[in-house]
Amino acid sequence: MENPIWGNSIFRKKKKEGNIYALLKQVPIFSDLKPKELIEVEKIVHRRKYKKSEAVIHMGDPGLGMYIIVKGSVEIIEEDKKAGQKTLAKLTEGAFFGDLALLDESPRSASAVAIEDSDIIGFFRPDFLDLLKRKPKLGIKVLFALARVVGERLRQTNELLSKIQEEKDKARHG
Amino acid sequence: MDNYAYQLYSQLLKTFWRIFLIILSIAFVMFVFPFVKDVLIIFIIAWLLSILLSPLVDFFESKGLGRSWAILIVMILILTLLVLSFSQIIPGIIRTVESLTSKLQSNIITDFSVKIENFFEKNFNNAELARNVTAKLNDIGVKLLGSLGAFFKSVGSFLASIIIIPFITFFLIKDSRRFKRAMISKVPNRYFELSLNILHKIENQVGNYIQGQAMDALIVGILSTAGLFIINLVFDGPIPYFFFIGMLAGVANLIPYLGPIVGAVPALTLAILNNPPNLGIVLLWIVIVFVIVQVIDNAIVSPLVVSKSVNMHPVIVVTVVIIGGNIAGAMGMLFAVPFTGIIKVTSSQIIWGLKNYRLRPSPITEESYSLEGKS
Repeated sequence: MENPIWGNSIFRKKKKEGNIYALLKQVPIFSDLKPKELIEVEKIVHRRKYKKSEAVIHMGDPGLGMYIIVKGSVEIIEEDKKAGQKTLAKLTEGAFFGDLALLDESPRSASAVAIEDSDIIGFFRPDFLDLLKRKPKLGIKVLFALARVVGERLRQTNELLSKIQEEKDKARHG
Repeated sequence: MDNYAYQLYSQLLKTFWRIFLIILSIAFVMFVFPFVKDVLIIFIIAWLLSILLSPLVDFFESKGLGRSWAILIVMILILTLLVLSFSQIIPGIIRTVESLTSKLQSNIITDFSVKIENFFEKNFNNAELARNVTAKLNDIGVKLLGSLGAFFKSVGSFLASIIIIPFITFFLIKDSRRFKRAMISKVPNRYFELSLNILHKIENQVGNYIQGQAMDALIVGILSTAGLFIINLVFDGPIPYFFFIGMLAGVANLIPYLGPIVGAVPALTLAILNNPPNLGIVLLWIVIVFVIVQVIDNAIVSPLVVSKSVNMHPVIVVTVVIIGGNIAGAMGMLFAVPFTGIIKVTSSQIIWGLKNYRLRPSPITEESYSLEGKS
């Protein structure tokens, strides 16, 4: 079963050719937006280029927002000074990560490192809050979609937990 | 070892060039500053205006208006309000200041000086001291009002040449996000999130602080005006231009601790110069009004509207007000505390960012990652 926190293939639609606009449309939190609204979002996202092995986010840093991979791929790594690093997921074009940081400033739960030269879009909480203030209708649409993603992920996590619990119970009772 | 020495040498060279560039930049700024001072002041005023007007623009934008239209509507509203009030207030202020200057040199003040001299002679048996005190007071009064008159005249001429301020304000509000994005796009990836977060926090807190201060000044101004208006009603108008005096008290309130006194002095002076029959009671009521306004401000208004993140120790406040006064006179005194507030917010946010973000390459992710060749 896919990791419910980092794996987001269920939310990802098949990538279409085109610009950021087309890519944003594939991201679940923007998928309900009208073309005009997507243009508004396009105006506030940040496009960044990362070299191979360059960190996109560091585990423990304050969360600021989410990233969407336009080109290239990223590895999500959990770091531990004693146990070293553990790869949680490998994300490719169209995938997104760090979306929970749109809601609060909690420390990042993992690091993200570019596996190859990558082109990544960042959508950040300050810009999102500003959008909510200026364009409440659009902001609420994004917020609602984000809640749906988080809810779906919670449902998956619950399923995973009950499965583990069941397996544990089975093992205990022979 | 040779490799280590080479690395150390290149590091030292880099540090040297950095320091050299910083010194060169400071020297350049110091050299250029006198030439760009006026432009800089215009930009600072436009920037402050953009911070003050942004919430209104956001409000109109949230109601479905385009940003440019929202800015235009807000600016037209504000400009109409300003033109109306300035066309009423400024000539009045100049007239008051001129009449006060002449009154100070006329019989009223001489009578007042004689009264003080008599008082000192009666109670302390020292007419010389009394003469010295009154001469000093008279001198200070004339100088103060003279500079106040010159200030407002220069403001008047300044107003005529400030069409450029609304123009810059318009674009600062309209394109601030674009400027910020362009600026942040130049930041290296390692410092990107840190810079974006700090920039946002500074923008947010400075905005809240300036908007809070302006709101506080406006409320104190309205309360003081209302108080002086009531005194005028009850005592048959002993304070002329009470609206201007009240609003001036609101603006003076920007200077904590000293502001309320600065605000009350013009009202008391005008009442003394007007010399109504029950002067003592009028003066007492003016003091009571300003004390009540201060109590309301400190207990209700200020805690609600002024950001707590910029609390400053009284010693710091007094020090920066003196420094501000020395650098730029009355305007310097007025803006010293807000300016220090901005510096305080900015530095505390930078320190927060440096503490919370990992700026050096992680031993686990980047370095070991590339060494292990995990890709």
